[in-house]
Amino acid sequence: MGRPAGTRRLVTAIGPALAPAAEPRAALMAPPSEPVLEFRNMRVVYDNAIEAVRDVSLAVPERGVVALLGSNGAGKSTLLKAMSGLLYTEEGVLENGSVLFRGEEVHRLSPDELVRRGIVQVPEGRRVFVALTVDENLQMGGFAKPQAAARRKLDQVFSLFPRLAERRGQIAGYMSGGEQQMLAIGRALMSEPVVLALDEPSLGLAPLVIDRIYEVIARLRDEFALTVLLVEQNAHRALGIADYGYILENGRIVLDGPAADLMGSEDVREFYLGVSKEGAKSLRDVKHYKRRKRWLS
Amino acid sequence: MRFLAEILLSGLAIGAIYGIIAIGFAVIYKTTGLVNFAQGEIAMIVAYIAWTISTTLSGNVFVVTGGALVAAVLLGLVIERVVMRPMLGEPVFSTVMVTIALAVILRSSINFIWDAYPQALNLGVGRDIVRVGAVGMRTGQIAVIVMLLALLAGFWLFFRYSRYGIAMRAVAGDDRTALLMGISTGRVHAVAWAASAAISGIAGIFFAITYDVSPAMYEIGLKSFPATILGGLDAVIGSGFGGLLIGVAENLAGGYLGSGTKEIAGFAMIIVILMVRPFGLFGQRDIERV
Repeated sequence: MGRPAGTRRLVTAIGPALAPAAEPRAALMAPPSEPVLEFRNMRVVYDNAIEAVRDVSLAVPERGVVALLGSNGAGKSTLLKAMSGLLYTEEGVLENGSVLFRGEEVHRLSPDELVRRGIVQVPEGRRVFVALTVDENLQMGGFAKPQAAARRKLDQVFSLFPRLAERRGQIAGYMSGGEQQMLAIGRALMSEPVVLALDEPSLGLAPLVIDRIYEVIARLRDEFALTVLLVEQNAHRALGIADYGYILENGRIVLDGPAADLMGSEDVREFYLGVSKEGAKSLRDVKHYKRRKRWLS
Repeated sequence: MRFLAEILLSGLAIGAIYGIIAIGFAVIYKTTGLVNFAQGEIAMIVAYIAWTISTTLSGNVFVVTGGALVAAVLLGLVIERVVMRPMLGEPVFSTVMVTIALAVILRSSINFIWDAYPQALNLGVGRDIVRVGAVGMRTGQIAVIVMLLALLAGFWLFFRYSRYGIAMRAVAGDDRTALLMGISTGRVHAVAWAASAAISGIAGIFFAITYDVSPAMYEIGLKSFPATILGGLDAVIGSGFGGLLIGVAENLAGGYLGSGTKEIAGFAMIIVILMVRPFGLFGQRDIERV
């Protein structure tokens, strides 16, 4: 489990509260051992005007779980769209930087080719095909695969989600949010991903259901040997399972480090986990924090 | 009684042609979310191509229909690639306007390429009269009803069981997520246009065999449109039956209320039915979880 040597980075990233960082950030981004998926200096612009993501670099090591955290509008989904080759559907352009998959540039490939190579995502809000049955949804997940392979995969998905097997013939639109999330994950597994990106899998779900989803994510890593990029607003959950985390703010990565370190970091505890020694923070402190962060990045 | 039977049977026969074209409407709507107003014009062009093959190359029924259907598939692919693909992602309203423009262009092209006179498509089949009970029908009229039923069965199976059929429904439901699943939406759209053009072409050829080819033939598209609205724009099977209903209603109105009412009967019917069922008789409501 090649954990990136990130402790040093974390220290330098938080440290500037006291002393400015000595090195520019890009220099700190030297990749650890060959990652499966890597974003390099990505800059995404929508409509030739709105810069959604600036100079983002991120690495996901083989069989690792990497968390990408950030609030609404930070640019998390933009990064995933860039990864899946979907920016063009929203007039977005990757103006700078690249996406590497096993060391090879893939950001110019078509969405279906990316799926065939093994870069797959479970989109935000589940997005199951509501008018299709569970079976048909899963079949669509395996669309890029030969049919025999898809059938083998189906058994695997059903063993992971027995609930889906029970409801094979049901119209997906009528299932509960948790069941739809499982269907969305199952559907993505049908294409035999190498890297699975999950976009806010806990969104809008009850805590107990979220527990189930996170158990599944752990099994995906352990039993299915998947590499997982976990995009979340729910920092506590995500850092609980991840090896490494990145925090995205206003389109830039402001902090990264091993998940355990991030969990322990004062800033993260206060602003992403909602935990504070002195109780609730006032707006003045938040402003101060933001100012500090802007200077940092 | 015999008059009624005659009206019903010929209504079913013309209704089957509407129904087949209505299936063409529904296939495109179901996959791309668009109403293609050039559907009748495509049927007309394909019928003209069939006529051209029959008068120049060979009058063999298989050669003519086969050749015309290949041409129809090509026409559908070209329209999708050249006219519709660049409109991908543009507002639906603009895109539908483009199909109207396409309809006018195709309609006028008849006068450039062929001429303004009606022609008979004589393949040596379809014009014999057989007796159904006391009523005489042309074999072509019976064949078109059988053809409609066969297409309905075929499409039902296709959308339900074939990978491409399910993919078409998936693309219609959420094309961006379909892309994420590795489904090439461009290819699915192309297949829909090709299939739809071929289906319309079949209707056009049947119409030409039973009646004539003429530059006014595109009007069968206008008659088929209420059929697909009636059956439900997204309901392939419903659209087919909608065609039969419109055909029969038209003939009944024409036979009993006077020939002037024939043209408006179908549209009068959709006004009434849509008031009661805004999604069409077999159309699907949007799924909302409660």
